[in-house]
Amino acid sequence: MNHRIEDHFPNLRPGEYEITSPPSNEYNCIAWAAGQSDAWWEPDPANLYYWPPGQPRRLELDAYVRAFAALGYAHCHAGDLEPGFEKVALYADAMGTPTHAARQLRNGSWTSKLGQLEDIEHEALDCVSGPDYGDVAIFLRRAIHEQPK
Amino acid sequence: MSYAVPGGRATSRLLTEERYVPADPQSPNKPLFTGSSQLLVARLVARSHYYLPVSRQRQSVAERFRELVQAWRADIGPLSSATVMAMHPAYQRIIGLGIDAVPLILRELRREPDHWFWALKAITGVDPVESSQRGRVREMARAWLRWGEEQEMLS
Repeated sequence: MNHRIEDHFPNLRPGEYEITSPPSNEYNCIAWAAGQSDAWWEPDPANLYYWPPGQPRRLELDAYVRAFAALGYAHCHAGDLEPGFEKVALYADAMGTPTHAARQLRNGSWTSKLGQLEDIEHEALDCVSGPDYGDVAIFLRRAIHEQPK
Repeated sequence: MSYAVPGGRATSRLLTEERYVPADPQSPNKPLFTGSSQLLVARLVARSHYYLPVSRQRQSVAERFRELVQAWRADIGPLSSATVMAMHPAYQRIIGLGIDAVPLILRELRREPDHWFWALKAITGVDPVESSQRGRVREMARAWLRWGEEQEMLS
């Protein structure tokens, strides 16, 4: 149980999540959803942070969708586990501003980097829904290419 | 800028009529945020005035800086956007402290690498971070600390 996390996320209850990293301000949820933990991904107009080259630098869902499209992701309808695919859920607030991204793990649960706080593994996507992150707005998926053994 | 406390009537007015909308650094006549993002910034403005009322603002630059850092850190934990963090009114007030804040920011950056890059660039007008370092917080911090030493702003 972590009161600091649970204070921010009223739908996150003890036993429904597991902390999987120490806090860090060196990467954010977008980087983590994209599989990176060594950089902060941000479409800031001042061009201070990393953002996939050539993608629009705007705090808008479309810019995030296009950044993930550059990594091979495309829209899909739901967050259920589909063999052969990995998925990302993009969250947005009530006005449509992107707030968070979670990545699906092979067991069907999700991993989220909570801002500058910890990474957590959570089964339900709505665990982190609420005043800070809003709700899931878009699901994306890409095919998993297994390495030959 | 409007002054209000969260939950009061003034907050509703702030959210509907008197939004604080920072300018786009690349186009000063245009708002940095439009639509939904303005509401998020307005919410941060209201929270900031609650935590740092005007009556506590007669302090030295170092004291104000420490309080503003504390107010900023108290709010930003779960935020995933450094742009939104930089729009926090406490952060904007740190920028407003001007060049006197730069040695304080650099010392804070040396103590604990954090997202001070927007403030440093806004105050100084320079950006010593190379494109290959963008997003790598420790490398970005090192680039700024090196710049601070070269400018003799950091002992």
